Amino acid sequence: MNILIMVIFFLLSAFTLLAGLMVVTVKNIIHAALWLIGSFFGVAALYLLMEAEFIAIVQVLIYVGAISILILFAIMLTRHVTGEGVRQLYQRWWIALIVAAALFGLLIVPTVFNYSWNTVPPVAPGQTASISSSVQIGTAFMREYLLPFEIASVLLLVALIGAIVIAYEERSTRRKVLTLAEEVALRQQRGEPLRDVPTAATASSPETPAANVPSQP
Amino acid sequence: MVSFLQYLLGSFLPSWLITLIGYIVITTIILIVTPVTFMLQTWFERRMVARMQDRLGPNRVGPAGLLQAVADGVKMFTKEDITPRAADKYVHLLAPLVAVAPVMLLFAVVPWGRGFEPADTSVSLLFVIAISSIAAVGLMMGGWGSNNKFALLGAMRAVAQMVSYEIPAVLALLAMVLLTGTMNVNSYSALQGGIPLLGGTLAEFGVPDLGLGWFAFTPIGLLGFGIFYCCVLSEGERTPFDIPEADSEIVAGYMTEYSGMKFAVFYMGQFLFNYALSVIAAIVFLGGWNGPGVGLLVDAGLPWLGNILSVLYLLFKAWFLFFVMIWLRGAFPRLRVDQLMGFAWKFLLPLALVNIFSAAIWVVIMLWGSDPRWTVKLSILGISLLGWLETLPIWGRQLVALAVTLLINFVAFRQVLLLNRRPRDETPAELAQDQVFGTAALP
Repeated sequence: MNILIMVIFFLLSAFTLLAGLMVVTVKNIIHAALWLIGSFFGVAALYLLMEAEFIAIVQVLIYVGAISILILFAIMLTRHVTGEGVRQLYQRWWIALIVAAALFGLLIVPTVFNYSWNTVPPVAPGQTASISSSVQIGTAFMREYLLPFEIASVLLLVALIGAIVIAYEERSTRRKVLTLAEEVALRQQRGEPLRDVPTAATASSPETPAANVPSQP
Repeated sequence: MVSFLQYLLGSFLPSWLITLIGYIVITTIILIVTPVTFMLQTWFERRMVARMQDRLGPNRVGPAGLLQAVADGVKMFTKEDITPRAADKYVHLLAPLVAVAPVMLLFAVVPWGRGFEPADTSVSLLFVIAISSIAAVGLMMGGWGSNNKFALLGAMRAVAQMVSYEIPAVLALLAMVLLTGTMNVNSYSALQGGIPLLGGTLAEFGVPDLGLGWFAFTPIGLLGFGIFYCCVLSEGERTPFDIPEADSEIVAGYMTEYSGMKFAVFYMGQFLFNYALSVIAAIVFLGGWNGPGVGLLVDAGLPWLGNILSVLYLLFKAWFLFFVMIWLRGAFPRLRVDQLMGFAWKFLLPLALVNIFSAAIWVVIMLWGSDPRWTVKLSILGISLLGWLETLPIWGRQLVALAVTLLINFVAFRQVLLLNRRPRDETPAELAQDQVFGTAALP
């Protein structure tokens, strides 16, 4: 049984590492984002192997369901990068190498020297471990870790308000979405500049997200 | 299933092998039943829409046209499989698979009836939410990989819509999680026994278990069901929200460049997604497998008969919800993109938040004084504010909770409706502008 788990663990780790490697080496940036999703899945499967099903599912929910989608969206909306061969290695790659190696060493050296990572003691067979249950996590959030939890909430709220402030403009207060022609006519009537009105070359109409054609590999 | 195999093979096979075989059998059953469900769904939808449009629909292949789906399947298999030359070959190939795999995974946690539970995990409701959000990746891959304007536009619309409507859907489910205290889909049905409104709280007075204590009859459940069902329609791209594949504007959205079996796989993913979410809605809000007779049969010592009846109840509810989707398709036109987004963010989201607030109040009323943690003394001038709750019997508390949440939800619903109404008193400048552009009559 243990050998089976070891085999699964090494297969999953190999997949996760391979996917991570592909993220930083493939030329096509969309492919990189898709490999990133694969790597997130590998990590979720590793959590599942540790019987932390709540964490595993939250990993899928947040990293695959939200963050990856956001990354894909952002890439597709910045048209000039999409699908083009992007060089991933820059001149100062060695700085990144040093930082990455230092972080890796920080984790691996204490482990090699048998430092206890404050891990949960193994549960005797037949006894159910309750550490991963959502009730326990919720209680911990509301008791011991209330302050960090609140700080994170406030941070998210600030981000939310900031996003609204940035996105808020006069156009959004109108009750009806103007067509491009109406928008231009309105600006001219008021004598406002046509600076941020999307022209026909950059978008087909203001109510859809910028209709960019993927420039393909 | 696993315990049955354990009984059958336990004497000569190791237990991990039995577990493995058990889950392989369960997976096989799911992978056979779901495509058959899909075939029935296409037939049902085509027949029903035809009926609504005063046509006959497919009626030649097999009795009443039931085998039409088989004929369609043969056609799909023999069609040429085209990949556009400029497309990204691998992404184009993988997209339908990524879109359909999460939908199949959904069925791993959806129970089919009392005792018919493929997998039992304590966080299956969260699993449903997490897995259903992956399908968006498949749509995006399809839209981008096709290298086609319409496909990309359709994918953008689809993903924007799915991401927006996921939020009210999750919040609607969150209210129910708060109410029931569990995220296990399998345990929802059993909680909805008893009689309408009061559930099983009158059992001690000899009131029989009618299996009608559905959450949809409580104010929180009703509002939650409405919000969740709207989100189901939107996430499944059903008609008032089928903007991603609006045929008259962007051909077929992200499916434009797909043909043959790849198209069929996309199609199957979509239909089964609708079905799976209908089942989830039926379980969480409409009593699941509970209905008149199930509890009585189980109490009478006929659990197997009760189980069969429970499967029929759940299937009927799920298919009814799917029928409502078809009905809406026959009745409603398509929304605009801005209407779609406004509906999610200005209407559903505030209501979902109020619903969570109501659910919290419900929980406080039901649990007050039941635990040392709940005995916070809320008092003004020495008069205890909530102490009187502890003197009430459980059904009395439920009545109080029903009244309070009904009040909150009703007022909130009314207010949100009022806020969303198009104001009459537009400024003169805006009115003049409407006349300039000839748009005064537009909604």
